[in-house]
Amino acid sequence: MPVISLTVNGNPVTVEVEARSLLSGVLRSNLALTGTHVGCDTSQCGACVVHVDGKPVKSCAMLAVQADGASVTTIEGLAKNGKLHPMQEAFREHHGLQCGFCTPGMLMSAVALAEQNPDLDDAAVRKGLEGNLCRCTGYQNIVHAVLDGAKAMRG
Amino acid sequence: MEKYGIGQPVRRKEDVRFLTGTGTYVDDITDEALAHAVVLRSPHAHAKILSIDTSEAESMPGVLGIITGKDWAAEDFQFIPTKSAVAKKIDGTPLNQPPRHCFAIERARYVGEPVAMIVAETREQAQDAAEVIDVDYEELPAVTDLRKTIETGAPQIWDDIEGNLCLDFELGDKEATDKAFADADHVVSLDLVNNRVTATPIETRGAVATYDADTDSYKLQNATQNVHANRATFADVLKIPADSIHHVAPDVGGGFGAKNSSYPEPPILLYAAKKLGRPIKWINDRNEGFQSDTHGRAQFSTVELALDKDGKFLGLRTKTIGDIGAYCWTIGPFTPTGGSARTQGGAYFIPAMYYSSVAVFTNTMPTDPYRGAGRPEASYQIERIIQHAATTLGFDPIELRRKNLMPEDSLPRKTPMGLDVDCGNFPEVFERTLKMTDREGYASRVEESQKKGLRRGFSIAAYLECTGGAPKEFAGISFGKDGSATLRVGSHSTGMGHETSKAQILAHTLGINFDKVDFIQADTKATPIGGGHGGSRNLEVGGNAVLKAAKEVLEKAKVLAAHLLNSNADDMNFADGTFTDVKTEQTISMDEVIAASFEKGRLPEGMEPGCMDTESIFEREIISCPNGSHAAEVEVDPETGMVHVQHYWVIDDFGPIINPMLADGQVMGGVAQGLGQALMEEIVYDEESGQLVTGSLMDYALPRADSMPHMELGYYEDAPTAKNPLGVKGAGEAGCCGAPPAIVNAVLDALKEDGVTHIDMPLTPEKVWRAISEAAK
Amino acid sequence: MYDFTYHRPDTLDEAVKIFSDADDPQFMAGGQTIIPVMKQRLAMPSDVIDLGKIGELQGISIVGDTLTIGAMTSHAEVASSADVKKAVPALAQLANDIGDPAVRNRGSIGGSIANNDPAADYPAALVALGATIHTTSREIAAEDFFTGLFETALDEGEIIAKIAIPVPDKAAYMKFPQPASRFALVGVFVAKSGDQVCVAVTGAGPCVFRATDFEKALEKNFSADALDGISISSEELSTDIHASAQYRASLVTTLARRAVENAA
Repeated sequence: MPVISLTVNGNPVTVEVEARSLLSGVLRSNLALTGTHVGCDTSQCGACVVHVDGKPVKSCAMLAVQADGASVTTIEGLAKNGKLHPMQEAFREHHGLQCGFCTPGMLMSAVALAEQNPDLDDAAVRKGLEGNLCRCTGYQNIVHAVLDGAKAMRG
Repeated sequence: MEKYGIGQPVRRKEDVRFLTGTGTYVDDITDEALAHAVVLRSPHAHAKILSIDTSEAESMPGVLGIITGKDWAAEDFQFIPTKSAVAKKIDGTPLNQPPRHCFAIERARYVGEPVAMIVAETREQAQDAAEVIDVDYEELPAVTDLRKTIETGAPQIWDDIEGNLCLDFELGDKEATDKAFADADHVVSLDLVNNRVTATPIETRGAVATYDADTDSYKLQNATQNVHANRATFADVLKIPADSIHHVAPDVGGGFGAKNSSYPEPPILLYAAKKLGRPIKWINDRNEGFQSDTHGRAQFSTVELALDKDGKFLGLRTKTIGDIGAYCWTIGPFTPTGGSARTQGGAYFIPAMYYSSVAVFTNTMPTDPYRGAGRPEASYQIERIIQHAATTLGFDPIELRRKNLMPEDSLPRKTPMGLDVDCGNFPEVFERTLKMTDREGYASRVEESQKKGLRRGFSIAAYLECTGGAPKEFAGISFGKDGSATLRVGSHSTGMGHETSKAQILAHTLGINFDKVDFIQADTKATPIGGGHGGSRNLEVGGNAVLKAAKEVLEKAKVLAAHLLNSNADDMNFADGTFTDVKTEQTISMDEVIAASFEKGRLPEGMEPGCMDTESIFEREIISCPNGSHAAEVEVDPETGMVHVQHYWVIDDFGPIINPMLADGQVMGGVAQGLGQALMEEIVYDEESGQLVTGSLMDYALPRADSMPHMELGYYEDAPTAKNPLGVKGAGEAGCCGAPPAIVNAVLDALKEDGVTHIDMPLTPEKVWRAISEAAK
Repeated sequence: MYDFTYHRPDTLDEAVKIFSDADDPQFMAGGQTIIPVMKQRLAMPSDVIDLGKIGELQGISIVGDTLTIGAMTSHAEVASSADVKKAVPALAQLANDIGDPAVRNRGSIGGSIANNDPAADYPAALVALGATIHTTSREIAAEDFFTGLFETALDEGEIIAKIAIPVPDKAAYMKFPQPASRFALVGVFVAKSGDQVCVAVTGAGPCVFRATDFEKALEKNFSADALDGISISSEELSTDIHASAQYRASLVTTLARRAVENAA
């Protein structure tokens, strides 16, 4: 069975996996990082988004073996030293979540979006979240949260 | 204290774990001994199950056990009965209820019906074994269309249920309505489809079942929205005492009604856990969810409105065929009967109404409550027929509504459907909503759209719906010596924020520290009863239960405070968390009183340490009527038929708003689901084969962030209901009532010059495009 | 999914060798198609050969009038490439509208065209632009590359190395998304080079095709009005729950007009 070595939320990790193991499965089961969620079978819902080498990726559409040597950040890695990430604060402030199930993937997509686009506006956020489905909020508060969080990230 | 009071947009307590990925949803539950179950489901819409050969599967690696329908039948378990409040046909005989066992036994009657459950050490091993189970099916003709199923010659789904009919139903005064129609100056009629949709919460269904042989008891951790009612049902199925099952829901990732239903998988899981002596986890795939989560709506109606020459409504007549799928599900037969009849006519004054319907069986996944459960259907019907009357008869659509809304001074009023409409000011709410929409600027917006080659349309819809769900609720409050309070409720939040809103009620009423309120819900061991979620009952029933219990604590605290201050309870005033003796002006805080309640020496006769702990049950006597107006502006691209909602406005009357931020969230989420139904969502079964065509998110379209307009929300709080102490009216489902008609009517408004008078939901681009080209002919 | 042996070779030669030695091998590019397919147990290769580490398959360059894109270039890279934006901005826009940001970070141009999903975007672009697909064994003109429903001219074991695209004078891509999957319900790519106009259509039929009537009209007069009264037959077009053949035919015309109006 393949053995992979990667960094997860800043920690080096070595884990034995099957070739067929998905990154989402390894994060959730082998590494007990259950914050990354699985909500569909067709790579649409985005609940599983994590960062691989700084870029947002659907962890349910990536094999764990492909992450060998990579640096992975999950939702558990956003808050630092017990302090919420500005994007997490923004989501809370704006009520950008209800049941919380889509939230980890939504946050990871939002952070990546904000990191890559200095000039976010309403339309850019809505397009940037095309790969993240939410059934609870109607998205409006999420959009406000992302715009606010992006501003806060810029400091 | 003010900051956390009732009416404040308090930020949610539950967010911390949700934002950091430390919530616990059912698939997050692990256990070293956990085995995994997979359900083998029928690939056919209608087929005899001739035999199931599990011999090869049983010897596959890791397989612990396989249960088939035949094994289940041999155990002589009960079937899951419907709890529909309407249980009789018009002639008084019971509705036709086929036995709903947890497995298909001799026949499968819908794609996705469970045929076997396979338990193995890993999920993959269970899937591998499932693949080699040899089921010998004999396919039968299937019928998936609700109109075709009652035609002569349609395939019979149940041998002893003639014509695939579950029941027929009527409500209202047929004679008076017929007379109103006969005497009317105008009669308009419209056939309406209310498309079959599915809740699609982002978390799929799943459960973990554990059996303890020592105590012959079970623990079921389940992504459900109602632990108490479902526990009772599962216990009945398995013929075991209800209290032998400890039923809890961990964090649940949305439900919208689909997770209220009594499903077959959990009882099978409980049985398997006992039989195999292992805790077992089962998680539905998303694709499985499309097949096996309860669907919603699925009605076909003919709606007629009678008017006088000035446009006054004289009568409403609605005839509906409601598709309940292959079985009577938990409340399935109720939705197209009582559930859609109750709020006929909505917020409008209509002196004569008659509703009749049939609930019919088809070879499809059964329907059960989905956000609104009958009220969105009724709202859609009245608002579409009014719009149709306006365009057909040449009335102004806004004026026609305005002149027919129930005036404030006509309330309280019992509608011809028996709905007690106690309070509200529908015309005022309508006007305020209209005012938000900048009618003056509309003409120039139309021009702007035209310059881009687009049509623009506007519509406003008034809705009046009613609450539902279980009328009783439990709240328990207990205090800790460290100043904490624990609130236990039988209601159930699956995203609605009760950890926060109910703590607000408690903190506000008692003046205690909001941050120190712990919250327990969805646990049959924590509360003796619980109504779970449903019918927008959570604040109306659950919130009032918390208020009732809190007030009882307050009464006890007053007595203790008086004792501690050597005063009389009658002289004690309570405000801002402090008791004051009005005579001596001595004060003592609630926190101090609670602290004292633990010390025997400080208590009066008759009070024991821990005496502040209180349990209470609140019972709603009568349902309330949330109401409001929704308005939408849309742009339509006539060349492609693409519709985009540009702007959306809502004013809701939910009575006093406990937490406006949470209320906004409920409204916007409901509007999104309504928009989804109006423009893009539809469960489609192939007519020939009965196959589920929309079996994944590749084909079932959900609204995304870029599907949604900017929504402006407001509340009318001047008509609290006297029906409950909080005065609240239930907010969770209203969005689904107002959005489909507002959006559909706005599209038709945009296309009125093209001569389009009706398009059925969902208004997909092709349907809109076709409607335009057909009208042009 | 079923288990398999995973390989991640560093060179094309290694990849070809592993393929020829394996029982039932499958190349994997970004995995955005093959992984979901394997999850549904619709494919069960014995060996999966990940092309992601092969340097020869990476990179975007412009030499003279030819834009060359390595097969393993991600959609995100194409969308944000200064070279692509300069040479064929329509291609950058097309790439930017595939899937969503997360999918675009993994999905690749090579993977997309090797799969030839009837609703994919790249096939229309490459046919309209007259691109050449360079493989490990030969060069194939785009027109000859896409041969049928999920079928290409690739032989077993043949790997796409890079795609060479002659820079057009102007081009545009208009896509009408299928509301659930957001794949192209219909997508039309229009490219003009000198006197030649190419109009390639995806999503409407089983495989990308050229709308030759449209091309002739546009070669006479490159304007949306030139397409007045010209339509394509719905006969060979697809019908499914999202769109009938007639509606697709109508979209082809509408999108072609809009592409011409937006060509840059």
